[in-house]
Amino acid sequence: MQANVQSAAKPDNYTAPELSDAIDLGLIDPSAARFGETAGGFLELTYKDKNYPRVSVRRTLPLGMPYEYLSIADEENHEIGILRKLADLDGDQRRLVEKELERRYYCPNVVEVRSVKDQLGYVYIDISIQGTGDITRRTCAIKDVNRNIRMLSDDSVILFDVDGNRYMIPSLKALSAKSRRRLEPYLF
Amino acid sequence: MRDAELSFNLDSDMHPIKGVLRFNADAMITAIENGSQTHLISASEVKEAEVLAGVGCGLAYVKMKDGRDIALARFDMSQLKPAGEWCKIVNHFIETGHAALDQEIERPVCPKCGLTYPEGMRICPFCYSKSSLMRRTFEVMRPFWPQIITAESAQTLSNILFILVPIFNRILIDRYLTPRTGTFTQIAFLAGLCFLVRAVGEAIFIVTARTYAKAATLFCNALRDQAYSKIQKLSMSALAKRTPGDLIRRVMEDTTTLREFMTDNGRWVVEQITMFFAALIILLFTNPRLTLFVALPVPIVAFALSRFWRLIQIRYERQWRKNSRCQSILHDIIRGIRTVKAFGSEDREIGKFARVNRDLAKVSSDNEVLWSLLFPALTFFTGIGEFLVLYVGGRSILAGALSLGLLVQFTMFISYIYAPLRWLVSFPRMLADAMTSLVKLFEILDEEEDIAETAESLDVPVNGAVEYEGVSFGYKSYEPVLREIGFTIEPGEMIGIVGRSGAGKSTLINLMMRLYDPNTGRIRVSGADLRSVSPRRLHERIGVVFQDTFLFAGTIYDNILYAKPDATPAEVVAACKAANAHEFIMKTTDGYDTLIGESGYSLSGGERQRLAIARAIIKNPQLLILDEATSSLDLETESVIQDSLNRLVHKRTTIAIAHRLSTLRAANRLIVLEKGRVAETGTHLELLRKKGIYYKLVIAQRQTNKPA
Ligand SMILES: Nc1ncnc2c1ncn2[C@@H]1O[C@H](COP(=O)(O)OP(=O)(O)O)[C@@H](O)[C@H]1O
Ligand SMILES: [Mg+2]
Repeated sequence: MQANVQSAAKPDNYTAPELSDAIDLGLIDPSAARFGETAGGFLELTYKDKNYPRVSVRRTLPLGMPYEYLSIADEENHEIGILRKLADLDGDQRRLVEKELERRYYCPNVVEVRSVKDQLGYVYIDISIQGTGDITRRTCAIKDVNRNIRMLSDDSVILFDVDGNRYMIPSLKALSAKSRRRLEPYLF
Repeated sequence: MRDAELSFNLDSDMHPIKGVLRFNADAMITAIENGSQTHLISASEVKEAEVLAGVGCGLAYVKMKDGRDIALARFDMSQLKPAGEWCKIVNHFIETGHAALDQEIERPVCPKCGLTYPEGMRICPFCYSKSSLMRRTFEVMRPFWPQIITAESAQTLSNILFILVPIFNRILIDRYLTPRTGTFTQIAFLAGLCFLVRAVGEAIFIVTARTYAKAATLFCNALRDQAYSKIQKLSMSALAKRTPGDLIRRVMEDTTTLREFMTDNGRWVVEQITMFFAALIILLFTNPRLTLFVALPVPIVAFALSRFWRLIQIRYERQWRKNSRCQSILHDIIRGIRTVKAFGSEDREIGKFARVNRDLAKVSSDNEVLWSLLFPALTFFTGIGEFLVLYVGGRSILAGALSLGLLVQFTMFISYIYAPLRWLVSFPRMLADAMTSLVKLFEILDEEEDIAETAESLDVPVNGAVEYEGVSFGYKSYEPVLREIGFTIEPGEMIGIVGRSGAGKSTLINLMMRLYDPNTGRIRVSGADLRSVSPRRLHERIGVVFQDTFLFAGTIYDNILYAKPDATPAEVVAACKAANAHEFIMKTTDGYDTLIGESGYSLSGGERQRLAIARAIIKNPQLLILDEATSSLDLETESVIQDSLNRLVHKRTTIAIAHRLSTLRAANRLIVLEKGRVAETGTHLELLRKKGIYYKLVIAQRQTNKPA
């Protein structure tokens, strides 16, 4: 109300406040946060003298900025605050949060495309994948190729199989020529 | 009891492993990763087992009675559902002390190839062989066999007639022309015979084409009807898996593809094959050596075809997808044109469309270029034997080893062989199209009706009594939306359901309407289990206004009548008056005949709601459900409707969900939902005194309603 009256009176030198000034983003103060791992294998957080026994770390922009604007939430999924970027934490604190991200977002990389078969509306891809550990092989079924094989950029691709698993190809150029040729017909 | 076992494949560092989570007869939970035990927990210390869904992975963990949470097993999405089942078994044991017997945990896999069936499919698309597809097709086509067989045999007859023409030619040349002995009448007779054979052949051809087109149309109409009625019968959960566009495409476009395939291609199959073999046999009999030259390019072409076929198919599919992408962008933008303009983003949208359109143009022209190169090349190669035959045959004639008539007959038959071959070059692409469409149709037809109108469906008199007993439900089984809901509603009561948005209020209604069945627990209507009640009968007696009102394209009158097709005009007007819609309807020039819906008169949100209310009450239902039915109305209009509803709700059960709590002041009882559970029940006053969740909601609303 106040602002409106003012702007009517002095239209020239009035500017609306920046949105981020007007609304509190709820950024977490990294110096007041202490992450830890519980005996049960969950991430816990003590923030401003309050203990949260099981917190989750959710990406605001999983594809665009995977390590920035991380929303930390308690077990009821209520947001405790937003961690501006992972790099704001140091040493073991950072590793703890990073590990939690790895556990929440599982999207192994495709290291090889062994074969691609197309059968009655389903595409079966035999791939070798690698997450954080060893390389494993699997066959996954993809339905509705134009929606579930998605180009993220000219060079990177994400695959969604019928079960809801995700597989990432961070760089097509990094794949072998054979792998690329097998996949090529489905990329657009 | 059998052990409940769940296999999992990730360790706590998300490294791939082989793991087994086991709940055994001694009520012990063990987790084993790569052969070594990582957890050993007694179920007696566990409060609850639960699955936490991540992104691309999940986690099964237990909440201990002492308040600790213990992570047990991590897995990718393939095991998410089985993990949910495993937790259910454990929880069932904790609650009841009994093991649920023989629960199927693992998802069904195809016995042939071992791959899990895709969600909602009962057939493994990989192993669903083309032969069984053919068998299915023949089955569906059975009623049309008489026409098809008639057409095919007539076609074969006309082919035999056509085969006679080259033979007449040979006789003409060898008997009368080369020796120059033929009389004018002999030649005229043969020419006339050729003419007659052709004419009769073409006449048969026309008749066949008509018969065939008719059979194909009937066949595809039958399929279309079947698919449409199947869609109508499918449950909401089955339908939600597919977009409306997908379903429409299956009903309309896939059947059309099939019809076109049958009329344009299917009928040639028998004809081309008989033609090919008949010509081949005759050729072999007349001159085996020459036949060899004719057959020479066939393997080459066949090989080239098999190489190029996939390429062509994929490319055309890509073009199809680009096209559909272009269409959907167009559709989206034009529907949202008001928003586009409001944000001043016309230029951006023009650019976006231009880009997609350019893409499409490029793919299409690339394809045309490829096809225009490939097709002539293949056709040319196919025909290469023809030149060889002319050369070798010509030499034989000069050497006196072959008669001219025979060579002419031979070259004519060659075209009878090559025509089917050339046709075959383009056939695979069309066959693939038709197959894909057919599979998509069968996919719909094979979908199980999980909410089926069973034979023992009861026709219960819905008197308005509703009872929920331990009802849990989730749209995805691992994400419960309602948990352990239990309450009873007596006939004639007015019940208000309140709760924050997302608490599960609309979901509760969806279950009551039996649009979905609960995962566990029971809902009774008039004392009968909802699962045994015929959904159609049920819906006839329930009047409902959904949160998102949908009106069909048509007149206002038709829309009200939709609920009760045999309603009298007096009833329609009365319903509209009760819903306070009559007045605004009468303000339009066409009154109740005003067209609404797509491209018709635009209604405001409040007007739509009032029509929806009228539509719900015209059935004079015993049970009336109002899901935020008056949310878009101003307070005054709402209270007018409320008054007439209050008169109406007399002696009928009403369940009302409302955001504005004042709407519910007439309710006998209120049920407060919180995170999918019934948190409080009682009258307005009781709940206020309790100072719980409801109290907070009321206070919050009072504050926002206070004049600033
Ligand atoms: N068709 C659906 N598929 C999946 N989830 C749904 C569907 N409808 C609702 N939900 C989810 O279920 C929860 C409860 O929704 P709903 O019953 O509509 O809440 P309310 O009506 O109380 O606002 C929400 O979290 C919502 O996102
Ligand atoms: Mg709702």
